[in-house]
Amino acid sequence: MTEEYDVEFVERTDREARFLVRGVTPAFANGIRRAMLADVPTMAIDTVRFVENSSVMFDEQLALRLGLVPLTTPPVGEFVEDDTVTLSIDVEGPATAYSGDLVSSDDLVQPADDNVPIIDLKDDQRLEAEADTVLERGKGHAKHQGAVAAGYRHLQRVEVVDDVPEFEDEQSQIVRGVIEDDGELIPTSEFDHDLSNRYPGKEIELEDVPNAFVFHVETDGSFPVEEIVTRAADTIEARATELEEAVQL
Amino acid sequence: MELRVTESTEDELSIEIAGEDHTFMNVLKGALLEHDDIGAATYDVNPEQSGGQTEPILTIKTDGGVDPLEALEEAAVDVREKATTFRDAFEAAA
Repeated sequence: MTEEYDVEFVERTDREARFLVRGVTPAFANGIRRAMLADVPTMAIDTVRFVENSSVMFDEQLALRLGLVPLTTPPVGEFVEDDTVTLSIDVEGPATAYSGDLVSSDDLVQPADDNVPIIDLKDDQRLEAEADTVLERGKGHAKHQGAVAAGYRHLQRVEVVDDVPEFEDEQSQIVRGVIEDDGELIPTSEFDHDLSNRYPGKEIELEDVPNAFVFHVETDGSFPVEEIVTRAADTIEARATELEEAVQL
Repeated sequence: MELRVTESTEDELSIEIAGEDHTFMNVLKGALLEHDDIGAATYDVNPEQSGGQTEPILTIKTDGGVDPLEALEEAAVDVREKATTFRDAFEAAA
């Protein structure tokens, strides 16, 4: 059984994208969504050794904050599970310690954003620590979740059925997602999510296009959107291959 | 992925697939149901906190024409092909 899938990008930046996939079943679409959230490993700080912490917060609290800083995740094959990268931080008050103050021992693993505040340090307060990262899946801890937002909606087809009756007030018709009008894909944000803006004085019918899903994916900066989608597909493929081999035994 | 057959007859199979969750099980179930000779396919998982059986159990019932284990293998191949065609289509668009 070979299906024909058709992918088309609607909106696209480095960290956020909207793309249409035609021909997938709802089960498969949901599998991809769940795999993006929970099964694509990302780097995150897991163990912290404090050299000095004279800030107002406990070591454990700072360790949690450090863990939640998104780090860039190296390409597949560069790292295996149990490999660690060490980052260090040394900030003296009065100053705010930011994620950008983390110094990594490996160029491939860097804070994805430089402006995540970790703690505000007052006079004579100091934070000095070393942190080890691990490559883990979002299933184990949310800090390893590469997709901060991943979801899909049905593509909706718009059909103009009639004019609004002459003496009737026009009603707003709110729809969110992406609509298809004569084969053209239009994000609803273009007309303020209100079909009466795009089709004034018309009566509209909307229907879900079967097996056409518009994914919206946003990553935390661990890797670009393309990467998380392909890696999610890879995890499903890996599990199917594993099952195939296990059944043959 | 460890498999453990809990029930097996000529046209019915119950199998525990350790370490999997809805992500994979639902895709697999969907692929099984697309198969012509499958009468019924379902899976059951219990939450971690429930204490008892927490690994998913897949149950397949065929219309008799095919061995359930073979149908499972075909479904696994289907899922693999779905994943690769999806990735290829996505990479072509990206």
